[in-house]
Amino acid sequence: MDNTEPKKILIVEDDEFLRSLNAKRLETEGFKVSVAVDGQSALDLIPKELPDLIFLDLLLPGVDGFEVLKKIKADEKTKAIPVIVFSNLGQKEDIEKAHNLGAQDFLVKANFTLDDVVLKIKEVLK
Amino acid sequence: MHWPTIENYAGDWYNKGVLILDPFLNFSFINYPSFWVILLVFFIAVFYLGRFWQSRESRLQLLIDEANLKTQQIQELEKVNRELEVKNRELYSKELGLTLANKKLQTLEEAKSKFISVATHQLRTPLAAIKWTLDMTAKGQLGPVNDDQKKFLLQGLTSTNRVISIVNDLLKVDSIDADQADYNFAPTDLVKLISNLIFEFNSQAALKKINFVFLKPQTAVPLVEIDADKIRMVVENLIDNAVKYTPENGQVTVKISDEQLNRAEGSLVVSVTDSGIGIPASETDKIFHKFFRASNAIKAEPDGSGLGLFIARDIIEKHGGAIWFENQSGSGPQGTVFSFTLPLHQKKV
Repeated sequence: MDNTEPKKILIVEDDEFLRSLNAKRLETEGFKVSVAVDGQSALDLIPKELPDLIFLDLLLPGVDGFEVLKKIKADEKTKAIPVIVFSNLGQKEDIEKAHNLGAQDFLVKANFTLDDVVLKIKEVLK
Repeated sequence: MHWPTIENYAGDWYNKGVLILDPFLNFSFINYPSFWVILLVFFIAVFYLGRFWQSRESRLQLLIDEANLKTQQIQELEKVNRELEVKNRELYSKELGLTLANKKLQTLEEAKSKFISVATHQLRTPLAAIKWTLDMTAKGQLGPVNDDQKKFLLQGLTSTNRVISIVNDLLKVDSIDADQADYNFAPTDLVKLISNLIFEFNSQAALKKINFVFLKPQTAVPLVEIDADKIRMVVENLIDNAVKYTPENGQVTVKISDEQLNRAEGSLVVSVTDSGIGIPASETDKIFHKFFRASNAIKAEPDGSGLGLFIARDIIEKHGGAIWFENQSGSGPQGTVFSFTLPLHQKKV
């Protein structure tokens, strides 16, 4: 593994403001950031870009986050990519469902700062 | 041939009559023992006949009484039957009413769940935006800020975290009335659960320059059979309180201890220690009461539901554990230690 090559992070988020803050923070940290604004674009982008880590929102227009997660984990090429579900849903069923579908972690956006997010990425990508 | 003539015939009978009647007319029948025998038999027969007749009368009367009683009973039974029918119909319509009410309740429950789900999401999204903006700006990540500006931005951030915490409480409201049957016990890594929680509080603790310490035993901690979701709420509440009521530059220590592991029913002990405002002696018995907030807590932090410890105690007790607190005493920093036990295994009901 080439350690000087910046890690590729994909942010799947439909809220423009949150998306831009998130992207800005990660770029400042030195990550190579790409974004998808809905589920379908994410599904198109992931097999092409093969990011090192995916931040996945759940409530997305059209194809929702759970669908995206399911499809990524079903595809041989993409199933090894760690997915951190980054959502403001918080019911127990949602968290369980995400874990059962293969999510690495479930973070409630409002409970973390972007600095926490950076720490989490570093932890997962170690 | 001696043919009987009318006179002879009549004379014959007259003679026979005289023969029979004679003893009677002379009262000489008393000399005949057969007379007395017949008389005795006669009296005995009359006597028994009398008795028989009486008993027949009384048996008849009994039968009549019985028949009357039976008729009465049948009438009463019919009356009771009619009342029963009426009650049955009432019950049936009540049952229908209850079924409908139940359906309505279920619909309401689902609607409430959905509402809470949507509300928390709708509230959290803009709250996250505010939180990140204030946080990044305060840290100079969106351009330079001076110390004065930084101070105000951090105040705003603290307020935002308060609101987020209250919104998070909305989700917990659902769990308040959970029965033990609704609990899902599964072997859980308590160390990991607490580590994740402490990570979540990192930024808030950093805001107040509070030092977080996580103590665990030297030897590996066994998995403990708990409802992870519910215990998470308990620890989250204790840490939230610790951070909330500890002033700047304080310390919060979370400790897992295995000191009670080697008993017959081993359990883990978790404690959260803060260096904060403590609990007034006059209010210690009400701390776990629903909606109660200590006077100094309200002063330090005006916002709070007062539900946290109430819910926490309910959850710990449903796990078969105990929860208590001690005020730190002595000359050192004030503060409180909240502790609870978790049995390693749950008894199968």
